[in-house]
Amino acid sequence: MSRLLLTSRGRCSARKGSAMIELALSAGVMLAFLGGTFQFGYTFYAYNQLVTAVGNGARYAAMRTYRSATPEDIEKGREAIRNMVVYGDSKPDPGAVPVVANLKPQQVQVEWTPGEHGAPNAVTVSISHFAIDAVFTQFDFGGRPSVEFPYVGNYAPAESER
Amino acid sequence: MSVATLLLLAVVGLAFDLGRIYIARNEAQVFTDAASLAAAKSLDNPETQGQRLEAARAAVARMPNRWNLGTQSFKGVVVEFSADGLHWDKSPEDAAAVQFSRVSAPMNEVEITFLRAVGGPDFFTVPAHSVAETGPVRLVE
Repeated sequence: MSRLLLTSRGRCSARKGSAMIELALSAGVMLAFLGGTFQFGYTFYAYNQLVTAVGNGARYAAMRTYRSATPEDIEKGREAIRNMVVYGDSKPDPGAVPVVANLKPQQVQVEWTPGEHGAPNAVTVSISHFAIDAVFTQFDFGGRPSVEFPYVGNYAPAESER
Repeated sequence: MSVATLLLLAVVGLAFDLGRIYIARNEAQVFTDAASLAAAKSLDNPETQGQRLEAARAAVARMPNRWNLGTQSFKGVVVEFSADGLHWDKSPEDAAAVQFSRVSAPMNEVEITFLRAVGGPDFFTVPAHSVAETGPVRLVE
């Protein structure tokens, strides 16, 4: 009787031991899966936000009056477009929060393609030197997203060009 | 064990595949917005009045915007024209009366990676379209 009891107790603790090993192995795999899921999920979420922000900024840039009287005018326009991409507002409040975490106006590139008669033909808005921080790793999309819109706004040339 | 694996694949699929689908949908919308504006701008250009429709189609074909995380160019893009914004035609007879351009990108197929293992489709199509008006050029849809 006592021998039977002892054998049964031994089997039980052996089962407990193998369950612990199984748990340890499967928990490792599960955690790796969960970590990977979070990384890709968050990266795609942030990239989607970037595409929306760049699209909105480029749409704004396409319709905004292009003032080229002085280099300061052009830079002012570029600054407004950058703010539109980063904050969703061309003149943001001092404490405005960027639409994508850690995105800064300096990381938004705005380039006008010159057309005939001085007015821009198109405007390209892109993101550069920005990495999406997904906790375990960082994803740098190298100049993407990049969007080109035809310029359809008003053109305010310099006095000498009129 | 197999139930847990299916659940795991479903969760991974939701994060990975749905994420890509939403990005593709956004990229396609931005492209059609830009392309319809380009077409309307060409329609409005007095220098191309003799070949308004050809110039508009060429302007759409020149658009460099890409999709699928900015890696693929758009295929099967459809450009249509309308005089009233209601009746659309790829090649209207009265080109001079055209006031609207509509650009559709109907063939953007995102390849499904994980959700297909739990009964999802192999591909998911994310179409987009936009309408722009001439004089002044602006997006209307």
